[in-house]
Amino acid sequence: MNYFSFLAEHGSTLLLGTVTTLKVLICATILYVIISIIFGLMRVSNNSAIQGIATVYIEFFRGTSLLVQLFWFYYVLPFFGISLEAFTAGVVAIGMNFGAYGAEIVRGGILAVPKGQWEGAHALNFSPFKRMKNIIIPQIFPIILPPVANLTVELLKATALVALVTVVDLTFEAKQINAITWLSAQCFGTALLIYYIISRFFLVPFLRWLEVLAARKVGRGKI
Amino acid sequence: MNKFLKSIGVFLVIIFSISSVSAATLTERLKDGHKLRLGFGTAVPWAYAGDNGEALGFVNMIALTVLEEMGITEHETKVFEWSGLIPGINANRSDMVTGGMYILKSRCENMNFSDPIGVFGDAMLVPKGNPKGINNYADVIRTGAKLVTGAGFNTVEAAKKYGVPDSQMMLVEGEVGILAAMKAGRADVAVQTFFGAKEHEAKTGGKFEVTDPKLMPKETLNVVGIGFRKTDVEFRDNFNKALAKVMANPATMLKRAGEYGYDKAQLPPPSMSTEWACSTK
Amino acid sequence: MNAEWKWDFTFQILPQMLWATLNTIMAAGIGYAIATIVGLLFLLGQRTPIKIVNMINREIVEFIRSTPLLIQLFFVYFVLPQFGITLSAWVCGMITIGLHFGTYLSEVYRGALEGVPKTQWEACRALNFTNFYTYRRIVLPQAFPIAIPGMGNYLVGIFKDTPLLSTIGVAELFHAATAVGGYHYRYLEPYTIVGIIFLILSVPAAMGIRKLEKSVNKAQGKVKY
Repeated sequence: MNYFSFLAEHGSTLLLGTVTTLKVLICATILYVIISIIFGLMRVSNNSAIQGIATVYIEFFRGTSLLVQLFWFYYVLPFFGISLEAFTAGVVAIGMNFGAYGAEIVRGGILAVPKGQWEGAHALNFSPFKRMKNIIIPQIFPIILPPVANLTVELLKATALVALVTVVDLTFEAKQINAITWLSAQCFGTALLIYYIISRFFLVPFLRWLEVLAARKVGRGKI
Repeated sequence: MNKFLKSIGVFLVIIFSISSVSAATLTERLKDGHKLRLGFGTAVPWAYAGDNGEALGFVNMIALTVLEEMGITEHETKVFEWSGLIPGINANRSDMVTGGMYILKSRCENMNFSDPIGVFGDAMLVPKGNPKGINNYADVIRTGAKLVTGAGFNTVEAAKKYGVPDSQMMLVEGEVGILAAMKAGRADVAVQTFFGAKEHEAKTGGKFEVTDPKLMPKETLNVVGIGFRKTDVEFRDNFNKALAKVMANPATMLKRAGEYGYDKAQLPPPSMSTEWACSTK
Repeated sequence: MNAEWKWDFTFQILPQMLWATLNTIMAAGIGYAIATIVGLLFLLGQRTPIKIVNMINREIVEFIRSTPLLIQLFFVYFVLPQFGITLSAWVCGMITIGLHFGTYLSEVYRGALEGVPKTQWEACRALNFTNFYTYRRIVLPQAFPIAIPGMGNYLVGIFKDTPLLSTIGVAELFHAATAVGGYHYRYLEPYTIVGIIFLILSVPAAMGIRKLEKSVNKAQGKVKY
């Protein structure tokens, strides 16, 4: 069977799987960005209890493997009364795992804002909340976006794991086709290619565009 | 910032609300308009999914025939790794296990079975010509061959029972893993269901052959049932009633399941009941 | 199966899980060793003066880095035998992990080399040192400490990705949990134990690396933040 007839027969199935992969990517990215901001802010809090909670969260999720977390969310959590759909369990596990890494980036970004900015805001009598929101946060974007971009590419790759908990994504479809047809080179090769195309030609350019945008905004002096 | 917090709240609520599944019984779930979820692995010709996720294989065909008898025509499919089937139904990931599971004592402790839908045996898959002369577990031990089978398969238990040492065992994910290991020469012999082995023999164009199932220990003959959650007794009983009707007049079922190789020889004898298998197997 | 934690079951499977942990550690160690070498090869490919080699090298690295390790594992495991190359699951896993993380380590090496001030190179040239001598005595001793934290991070990273090896049948910790869970139809204890073992092993490792990073930064005269 040549490659084109393989594509004609299974291409649409792989594309359907790709759509699910993109859905997981988008939902998990939204979730991890939110978690990163919340826990990143908690990490720089002056309140040691809040800081402690964030530290435990981050160490816990960075210390155990994503696959273990995913299986735990999927197979074990229901016994504690929380039964997430496979898709949701996948998104939540990935989001919470990457949120832990993202929180550290956010923390680094906040601490990297020059001291003068903090002092300036203090001198102008801004409340801590206002200082964060109006002065510090806008400035951290150009600092954190490059590492966030790397992390998001890692997240795209990590979405492949949801296939192992019955989510019908690109990896799952490739596995299924392999199981039925044994055209391993074609189905896994095509899957690799699709991930590569998503990353190289869509995700990375988009993230670079965000970086440029953020740098320009701060450069313009919008505070 | 308030707006921001609010939108986070909304997002989290949405995420968790789509998903919180109530602990209702299957009968109630179906009444609420949920679709019945069939859980199975990828085991041709027993049960597997088609390109669009549709349920294929003879166990699925039998289950669907019975469900239609019960008036249930809608379902969705969940494809698991074999070892995840029972943990999956217990974690409320599926409603019925149609993977084609043998009724075994250890499984009965974790899942309820329907009445048997058929009787089946295991066999070994060996390279053509059977160069090492392996027909059963004793031969495996004698020749020191590497034996591959699926994680969570009944054959793991059986191999241990007949004394195959762990060092000779190789556990992989399901039928796919078994054939992959055999094709690549990572294992010398595979043990699986006779049907699964037949399928692999056909798929590889005679590169491998199936040993005579009669040369396997007699006790490896097993009955297969459909699995239900321990709490869904009522549904299981209704299923059994419909199954009995189908078995009494099996023409339709045999036609549908026959496409996958199931035939009259598989119809379960009355002596091999679920209670019998649960207590002796 | 119910939600109750069964202690007798826990103790029954614990020895088996601990044995499998050794396999996990071994897998991470071997995979890492291969990755450090593969990383050097990619670094060489990147630094050769031949443009076409640079380009091919960059594309390969880019491709490996932007595709999931899981499918790469499947690819190596299922496809190579079709070309007559049959390797055991272990070897497949080690090669794939080595290649995958080799691309990351080559970046770490590159960063470390670039972290050595340009003036050092210039001074060496002025002193008429050979290239080999420059690398061995001047550049590498300075670059190595810069690379240590990054290298450490990827060691922990590989360790945390070893569960993926279970999908092709490498008998490491996660595989043991799945097998034992499939055998006894209980996932609660096996997967929780896996999580705890990972936590016990990787949190101190990560902390150690962070400490190392701080001391390296201090030694380099860089103070973070």
